[in-house]
Amino acid sequence: MRFPRLAQTLLWWRRLRVLTAKELLQLSRDLALMFVIVYAFTADIYIAGSGVSFQLNHAAVVVMDGDHSMASRELIYRFRPPHFRLDGEVSGASEGIRLLDQGKAMALLDIPPDFQRLLQEGRSTGVQIQIDTSNAVLGTLAAGYAGQIVGKYGMEAALARTGLTEESLDTLPLIEDRHRVWYNPNQNDAWFIAIAELMTVITVLAIVLPAAATVREKERGTIEQLVVSPLTPIQILLPKVLSMTLVILAGTAVSVFLILDSVFDVPFKGSLPLFFAVTVLYVFSTAGIGLVAATLTRNLAQVGMLTILILAPIILLSGAWTPPEAMPAGLRQAMFLSPLYYYIEMGYAILLKGAGLDILWDSLLGLTLLGILIFIFGVWRFKRQFS
Amino acid sequence: MNIRRIRALASKEWREILRDRLFFALAFVVPAALMLVFGYGIVLDVEKLPFTVVDYDRSSMSRDYIHRFIDSRYFDFKGYARNERDLEPLLADSKVRLALVIPERFQERLTAGRPAPVQTLIDGTFPFRAQTAKGYVIAINAAVNGELLAGFVARTQGVTLERAAEQVSPVRLELRYLYNQELNSRWSVAAALVMFVLMVSPPFLTALGVVREKEHGSIYNIYASTISRGEFLAGKLIPYVTISSINVLILWLMVTTLFGTPFKGDFLFFLGASVIYVTCTTGIGLLVSLLVRTQVAAMIMTAIITVVPSVLYSGLLVPVPSLDAAARIEAHLFPAMYYTNIALGSFLKGVGLEVLWDDVLILSLYAAVLWTLSLFLFRKRPRT
Repeated sequence: MRFPRLAQTLLWWRRLRVLTAKELLQLSRDLALMFVIVYAFTADIYIAGSGVSFQLNHAAVVVMDGDHSMASRELIYRFRPPHFRLDGEVSGASEGIRLLDQGKAMALLDIPPDFQRLLQEGRSTGVQIQIDTSNAVLGTLAAGYAGQIVGKYGMEAALARTGLTEESLDTLPLIEDRHRVWYNPNQNDAWFIAIAELMTVITVLAIVLPAAATVREKERGTIEQLVVSPLTPIQILLPKVLSMTLVILAGTAVSVFLILDSVFDVPFKGSLPLFFAVTVLYVFSTAGIGLVAATLTRNLAQVGMLTILILAPIILLSGAWTPPEAMPAGLRQAMFLSPLYYYIEMGYAILLKGAGLDILWDSLLGLTLLGILIFIFGVWRFKRQFS
Repeated sequence: MNIRRIRALASKEWREILRDRLFFALAFVVPAALMLVFGYGIVLDVEKLPFTVVDYDRSSMSRDYIHRFIDSRYFDFKGYARNERDLEPLLADSKVRLALVIPERFQERLTAGRPAPVQTLIDGTFPFRAQTAKGYVIAINAAVNGELLAGFVARTQGVTLERAAEQVSPVRLELRYLYNQELNSRWSVAAALVMFVLMVSPPFLTALGVVREKEHGSIYNIYASTISRGEFLAGKLIPYVTISSINVLILWLMVTTLFGTPFKGDFLFFLGASVIYVTCTTGIGLLVSLLVRTQVAAMIMTAIITVVPSVLYSGLLVPVPSLDAAARIEAHLFPAMYYTNIALGSFLKGVGLEVLWDDVLILSLYAAVLWTLSLFLFRKRPRT
């Protein structure tokens, strides 16, 4: 009985191979879809990563200078790039507010008359800044930078009056602020965004491709042929997942070497083989979600809408945009249900931080368990529907 | 243009959407769900940053200094670390995002009138958060230094502490926040999310609606009928514009009640501008549907061309003036940015047509161009 069992095993693998080849062939003949996949892994990530910056850059400042003195000009001059950009003087408050209303200016700096005189006499004076906070984040950043500029100006004015210079700061009891930003010393947004976008693209495709491949067979009725064939449900589903994993892995490799490495100079601190291994595990776990979606729907339109509904929370709860500590308490627990959470955590840690398995074993364990659960559920749903 | 034919097609389309119950529910549930999930999930306030401290000095002054961070709502103290070697794994595992290292003889140096270095290590994985965290650290250090300097001046020049404080920081800064006094990022995000949701969901519905007919072959009924191209497109799109306009109302209600964003502008103006915007975004879906043949391709293509620009090039997360030159051009080419202006202007600034007329005009032009382009691209005799 040993020989037939071997033959059966061989047959099992042969079927798997043939069906995987069929899926790949079918995919390669859908030119529009192929184009979209190539676009997603190259141009899309390039567009997302290039030119986007979350920092306050060149925020337009208009000035109402009531003093027109050396001192006021000196202060105004400090509102300059990279964070601010002087956008001229306005004659009155109403003109300034109109510019803020229109969104043409972001801040209005108001310097009172007597500014210079009060400073020279060593008395305190005040300047007012009105900031457009309709974008609260930028408003906060602008307020912070304005505070730094005015604070530094004030301190220097005070030192100059008391006859001290910048150098004499070394002889004063002050705290020397030595901050260093690790993993991304220049706060290059492109690294962060490009990696986040790559992982999002992988997620979208890992769910949509197997789901679409399965539902398409349902919609066209070819699924009946597969079900009456001697194939087991696993043999029908596994090739779909396998072929899509191969495609996604190839796309990821292209993206990593062509876009992340050559264009954005992301420093790969950790092990790339580990990253790809984690990616395979991740694609397999998420493909299960696609299979579940495919069993719940009847046609491609429905599966498309359903995947958006599934994707939105997965991406949002992943920490790609908001790290766990910034999430509201209730949502922080829910993050453990998003497979992308583990993948993002490991992806950033491997690529940017150079972390290895000694640090990431818990995320890896979480992803594996979640993946097995999802995959088993998907296959179970499929089995129930077709046998 | 024959109104009766358009009406017939529109009612056929409407029935088709209505009878595919899942599709119909998703047409309304997806936008609301996106609003809900993103509105609660995108948290842009940088608060409660987990941090740790290596205190080599263990003096009363170093403890006082550390307490400035512990007491701040921006930081969340996770306990002391023993030495600098322990920091690397903590940062790599994202257990902390920031670490302070206070050297030995911190107190000794300051009391002797000499400067003392303090090192801060910040996790730069999220550059925007790192930048903000750096701002907090600088602000705390500036406040501490102001007090140290005032104390020093008071001692050396023999004046009172208040007088010394006035002397070392002579310029007070009065900040006034316009439009969003509490700096509530949820208000801004919720208002801008209306733009995002209406950019993502209508094209999806539309693209699928048209491509579905192509894939099923029922489009040949249209090819063979007397209906003209313009009538077909109008009849096909009216149901989708209607659905999306209803969604505008639902989203508006969610933003004002659920997220508590004040609506200061003119409601009718906002509604009108929103309908123009929705006409624009359904036009994008229509264009996609004419370019692709399968529903999968239509879905992925719409997702790609709408999601990234509406997240990154629209003013939702990144303000347009902060973008670099090339990205700013891209932002101007895409309708999302104009509608973000309208949404933020209507909700938070309370301005109307008198300020936002140019944005409305551009959106109208955009819609006109998209529809004309679709009219030219749609062929009743397909090339095989």
